[in-house]
Amino acid sequence: MSEPFEPKIVAFVCTYCTYAGADLAGTSRLKYPPNVRIVRLPCTGRISPMFILKAFQKGADGVLVSGCHPGDCHFDHGNYHARRRWTAFNALLQFTGVPEERVKFSWISAAEGIKFAELIDSITEEIRTAGPFEQYHKLIAETGSAASV
Amino acid sequence: MSIQEQYRSRAKELLGEGSVKMVIGYGVGTTATRRRPIFITSPDETDRLVLDASCRTNLAGYLLREGLLADQKSIAVFLLPDGVRALNILAAESQLATAQIVVLGFEIKGEEVKPLEGTAAGDFSAIIAERKEQRKAQPSHEMAVKLEEMTPAERFAFWEKEFSRCIKCYACRAACPMCWCRRCVVDNNQPQWVNTSSHTLGNLEWNLVRAFHLAGRCVECGNCSEACPVNIPLHLLNGRMTDEVLTAFDHYPGADEQQEPVLASFRKDDPETFIL
Ligand code: SF4
Ligand code: SF4
Repeated sequence: MSEPFEPKIVAFVCTYCTYAGADLAGTSRLKYPPNVRIVRLPCTGRISPMFILKAFQKGADGVLVSGCHPGDCHFDHGNYHARRRWTAFNALLQFTGVPEERVKFSWISAAEGIKFAELIDSITEEIRTAGPFEQYHKLIAETGSAASV
Repeated sequence: MSIQEQYRSRAKELLGEGSVKMVIGYGVGTTATRRRPIFITSPDETDRLVLDASCRTNLAGYLLREGLLADQKSIAVFLLPDGVRALNILAAESQLATAQIVVLGFEIKGEEVKPLEGTAAGDFSAIIAERKEQRKAQPSHEMAVKLEEMTPAERFAFWEKEFSRCIKCYACRAACPMCWCRRCVVDNNQPQWVNTSSHTLGNLEWNLVRAFHLAGRCVECGNCSEACPVNIPLHLLNGRMTDEVLTAFDHYPGADEQQEPVLASFRKDDPETFIL
């Protein structure tokens, strides 16, 4: 019997808000699926769309990009810049047929441990239902390298 | 006097009186309808200039040839309205000073070439404002409409097929007046963002990166689609990005040289519809 599908999800988060929120989820002993690999960045504004492509290139089934709520940026406006980039990049992903459930964007503050745990829960479920990102995995396989997240 | 003659004598005058050191314009190409850029430095050569409805290439990018503007001397360049927009963006991005550029502006309506009044980039703001309204009202490309109606899986398959033909020649980049980075992210190998092998994966990555880096900067001149040897419909990607910056941020790329780059600025009340 084959193993049940466990999605691989990469989360790019800013250290001041979402990472602290994830930390709070942990210290509060909230349970969330272990499918998410967290990559911590110094600011929401540092999360380049290249990271999303890199995660998929390495075989991710889903990507979460998350930072501080508007108005809460440690550096004042990194997240406002990020929001514009996400808007353009998200439109591009949709236009080229990357399914909407594969890339999610969110604001999670340092106080929102519960929101973090619930969001990881729901996106993991959504991607579990959608299955592996076969369309992309096929492209990776063509290059002769294996998915390696 | 034909418009071609008019512009030739204008160029002769500019070079003759020494107010510009060079005129960048169009010359005959290898076929009847192909035009190639020519770089004229002497008033005796101005009869090589061609101006007709085949002159559609955006010549603004040639101004960035290394060292060309370093001596602070002026250069005249033939530009369509899209070319003037490109000039505005290059100035906004500190790549040149428009004071050094004499615009030989023209537009093409159907098969007719018409002169545009003005010599400095700023003189064309009325026609650019008009273009913005036209762009907003312009119906989407037929194929873009079809794509929007497809399921994501069908769209992915469409682009997979298109990108599978890409040979990563980077002609699209070379032809684009806005692609002025000395070192493109695609050439970066530490880390290697874009897969280098000749497979669809890297081609897809490259094309997404190219379109994204031109979001809000592309003037839809068509140089890239024209240059692509395998006819990938790059204009659809560029067009989608232009639609997005127009609707989300009311940004028409190259409106004037004071315009802030759309992805290097923000408003606190920018729309957000997809952020959880
Ligand atoms: S991306 Fe293409 S259409 Fe847009 S400015 Fe560059 S060459 Fe012109
Ligand atoms: S010009 Fe066409 S084939 Fe060449 S790199 Fe660009 S998209 Fe690919």
